Amino acid sequence: MAVDLAIRARDVRKEYGAVHAVDGLDLAVHRGEIYGFLGRNGAGKTTTIRMLLGLIRPTAGVVEVLGHDVAGPRREWLRRVGFLVESASAYPNLTVRENLELHRRLTGAPRRSVEEQIERLDLGAYATRRAGTLSLGNKQRLSLARALLHSPELLVLDEPANGLDPAGIVEVRELLRSAARDHGVTVFMSSHILAEVAHLADRIGIVHAGRLVEEAPRDVLAQRAREYLAGAFTEQQRQDALLTADLERYFLARTGADAEAVDRG
Amino acid sequence: MADVIAAEFAKLRRSGVPWVTAAVMVVAVLGAALLIWIVRDPERAASLGLLGTKANLAGLEATWTAFGTYVTAIAGAGGLLLLAFVVTYLFGREYADDTAKNMLGLPTPRWRFVVAKLAVAAAWWLALVALLLAAAFGTGALLDLDGFSGAAAAGIVGGTLFAAGVSFLLVPVCAWITIATRSYLAPLGFALGMLLLGNLLGHTEWASWFPWSIVALLATGAGGPTVLPWTSYAVLVATFAAGVAGAIHRLAHADNP
Repeated sequence: MAVDLAIRARDVRKEYGAVHAVDGLDLAVHRGEIYGFLGRNGAGKTTTIRMLLGLIRPTAGVVEVLGHDVAGPRREWLRRVGFLVESASAYPNLTVRENLELHRRLTGAPRRSVEEQIERLDLGAYATRRAGTLSLGNKQRLSLARALLHSPELLVLDEPANGLDPAGIVEVRELLRSAARDHGVTVFMSSHILAEVAHLADRIGIVHAGRLVEEAPRDVLAQRAREYLAGAFTEQQRQDALLTADLERYFLARTGADAEAVDRG
Repeated sequence: MADVIAAEFAKLRRSGVPWVTAAVMVVAVLGAALLIWIVRDPERAASLGLLGTKANLAGLEATWTAFGTYVTAIAGAGGLLLLAFVVTYLFGREYADDTAKNMLGLPTPRWRFVVAKLAVAAAWWLALVALLLAAAFGTGALLDLDGFSGAAAAGIVGGTLFAAGVSFLLVPVCAWITIATRSYLAPLGFALGMLLLGNLLGHTEWASWFPWSIVALLATGAGGPTVLPWTSYAVLVATFAAGVAGAIHRLAHADNP
């Protein structure tokens, strides 16, 4: 495997009986990039992410993460990976701080990292609240804090904006952008919402029926989309889309979101 | 390994389940004490109707020896169910709370989670047995049972610990089933089914070969544990080893969607 690849998947397949959840997937994610893994519900995104983390085994093909075959010993590379799979989850009887402390203890992260992530994810007001009483959005923040706790080289995030309000989505975008730009963290994030990955990803792969049907840098993909859709919308539809965007920016500004972050999208 | 065990203990913080199991233990002892209190007075037994009849049918006497046999049975046959509940909770909550994926994605060999959870179950069980003995001696003293002696007390403690120990050998199978089915119902149904089957086979020549019958025989034999051939102990140890190996193999190698 080339040294600059954080993730490499070659002809990966996952079958559940007659169902081909992933059907010959090839992936190459470079170190330090933000890769958007875009697909509709049931396209194979979560199955792929579970295979990347060694939670399920491919029926065929090879998956390598940070230079290690995921079918081999997991300890070495898993300590360098942070992840969030599907829905946010935590031990409901433990507080936010206790949940993070539990994770810290098992990943060998430094003690200060718990408070750092509480502050970074704006969880200070909830640190002593039981995770079971948190809103979906705050549970998602807790899951992101856990993923970032041990300063991973690679973040594998399944629908990271799930449950977050618009201001929260902007904050998380900034967080991931900063992780990649300032700390060289590779981010592999899945979503079924184009806008979510379009704001953030350097490259976007579109998965459909378990196969990668298109992959390109964001700007190239955006240009292809403009050409493909040229003339597809009426002037009224364009105005509606612009109005929606303006209203969202206004809403974010009125609810305390960082103005610069909003401008960056 | 110590970190994983400590983490498993930490997961129990503020959980109400340990208190529920403690309450079950105390209620079981109080139930036995109630029956003894009834049977020691024939007029009281007669006036209580069905409850008095049940107390008489239980064959309890107001002696430390009889009470000790009942306490041993709670730790043995009754313990099989309570232990199954404890182990099923420890493993099953990871699936119910959807935290299994977080646990299995940690840079920790997965066998350690199985061993750590079983270690927590063992400590939990030991605490419950200590509570059982404390409640038994407390209520026995309040009832002023006949025949107390150092030997009788040592017999109750020894018999209860022995019964508790052999019961524990069967619970890793419940852990295995919990991991395989990712549910609470299957392992609890299995434990209940095995307890019933163990009672049925306990009256046949297969008793010394069937793990759940062996525990029942060892834990409820009147006047002390039944003497069984060494092969019966080998069956218990093999069941324990199979349960642990099955749970580890399943957690380490099967898909964990």
